Amino acid sequence: MYKKQWTGFLCLDIEKRTDKSVPKDVFYYNALKVQRPIYHNPLRPCYYILNLGGGYLNGDTYRLEISVRKNAELTLTSLGATLIYKTPTTPAYQETEILLEENSYLEYLPDPIIGYENARFRQRDTIYMKKGATLLYSDILTPGWSAQGQSFMYKLLHLTTKIFMEDKLVVFDNIKLEPEKQEMAALGYMENYTHLGTFIVISEKSTKEFINLLQTKIDKQSGDFKTGISSLTVPGFAVRIMANMTQDIQRIISTCHTLLNEKWYANTTNSLRKY
Amino acid sequence: MDKKLLSLFQLCDSNFPSGGFSHSFGMETYIQQKRVTNSETFSQWLSMYLQHQLVTADGLAIKLAYNAFKNNDTHKIWHLDHLLTIQNLSFEGREGTRFMGRSLIKIAKTLYNSSLLFEYDKRVKNKESFAHPAIVFALIGQHLKLSKDITIQFYMYSTIINLVQNAVRAIPIGQTAGQQIINAFQSKIQKSIATINALNESDFGTIAPGIEMAQMQHENLTVRIFMS
Repeated sequence: MYKKQWTGFLCLDIEKRTDKSVPKDVFYYNALKVQRPIYHNPLRPCYYILNLGGGYLNGDTYRLEISVRKNAELTLTSLGATLIYKTPTTPAYQETEILLEENSYLEYLPDPIIGYENARFRQRDTIYMKKGATLLYSDILTPGWSAQGQSFMYKLLHLTTKIFMEDKLVVFDNIKLEPEKQEMAALGYMENYTHLGTFIVISEKSTKEFINLLQTKIDKQSGDFKTGISSLTVPGFAVRIMANMTQDIQRIISTCHTLLNEKWYANTTNSLRKY
Repeated sequence: MDKKLLSLFQLCDSNFPSGGFSHSFGMETYIQQKRVTNSETFSQWLSMYLQHQLVTADGLAIKLAYNAFKNNDTHKIWHLDHLLTIQNLSFEGREGTRFMGRSLIKIAKTLYNSSLLFEYDKRVKNKESFAHPAIVFALIGQHLKLSKDITIQFYMYSTIINLVQNAVRAIPIGQTAGQQIINAFQSKIQKSIATINALNESDFGTIAPGIEMAQMQHENLTVRIFMS
């Protein structure tokens, strides 16, 4: 696996030293890199992932390896959307492997994935969590507009997310949007929406009451979108959002994030610049 | 009809107490939103449910279970039960299939002398497995030595008639219209077999966003006649 030459490779290993979470190892090559971390929260580094190539092209392959060691904390996001351009012969591919050790904390909130005309993209995210670890995970899928102003010109956006808790698979999410093969506007599919967002939270702090409170907060948001929230088989929940604008999805995710910071960590600051 | 076929057919009878009577799997949300209002809109919903739940999850799971039977890989069967349940991000959707799975096992174990079914029952009681109707069908189909394709078709057919019966009561639509829908779906079920046979494991559990959204939103309906 390591012998393969990836279009972009990033390894990020975070550990906790006394109070503060710091990089134990940061390594990247080719098209991926991270900037120096910013400490929006004085104890938790926030890394912004950069794609130096500007976008994902035919046959591109990316791999990210993220480790958050015992009790350590990390915010991981991107500096701009993941742009998927046309892939005439081979879909672009990205795999991410995340390890969250005991009582670690990761918020992984990348910018949207934008599929342009004739783009095909496969993403495989695998997350291994240990007891007491907390995960906030999001993805947003959006169509890039074509020269003709049409939506859904991409060919394939296929995201498979697996989350293991103590080696047991607890979340399996498989989103495969293929506008050529499926009438997107059909009842039961994307209906009148173009953007699809997902926010998954796994935390021992998650309760039914919190999910109900979150539901009331989301119901108060205005805008043209639909959301569903449901609890998982382990403490935690999934939020799915259908909308026509990235901002609407980000606002819902931000609402969840803010409420969770407030209720679970008595923290009213928001750690990301993007909301 | 041959004896084995007749035996599997018993599981598909709408009078068979599978518990399907209480579960709409999100259809009720569409009814309340006034988007499923007649046989046409119901058929649209049902088509999507067939294509993205019964084909990519349940049907594909039965196919994979049959492969596992061939390889004597019992562990894989129990993994499929797990996967089928957790791939559904809707709590009520999971509870619905679990409830139906358990009802089916309870009666099926008195009718079919299948050791794997007994083992499944034990695993469910010990909370090692969730219980899912598709796995029950796979176990019984295998026990009766019926083919994978026949078992998948019977499973789909039983789910379709169940959902149609629920639509007849809830929308409501006429009994005749309901039977016409069941009739129209027979060819769709047959076509689905070819689709399932062409699917890979990486296609497992691909969602239809609206179908899933309605299942999640069902939790918040204030007045409801279905549990999911």
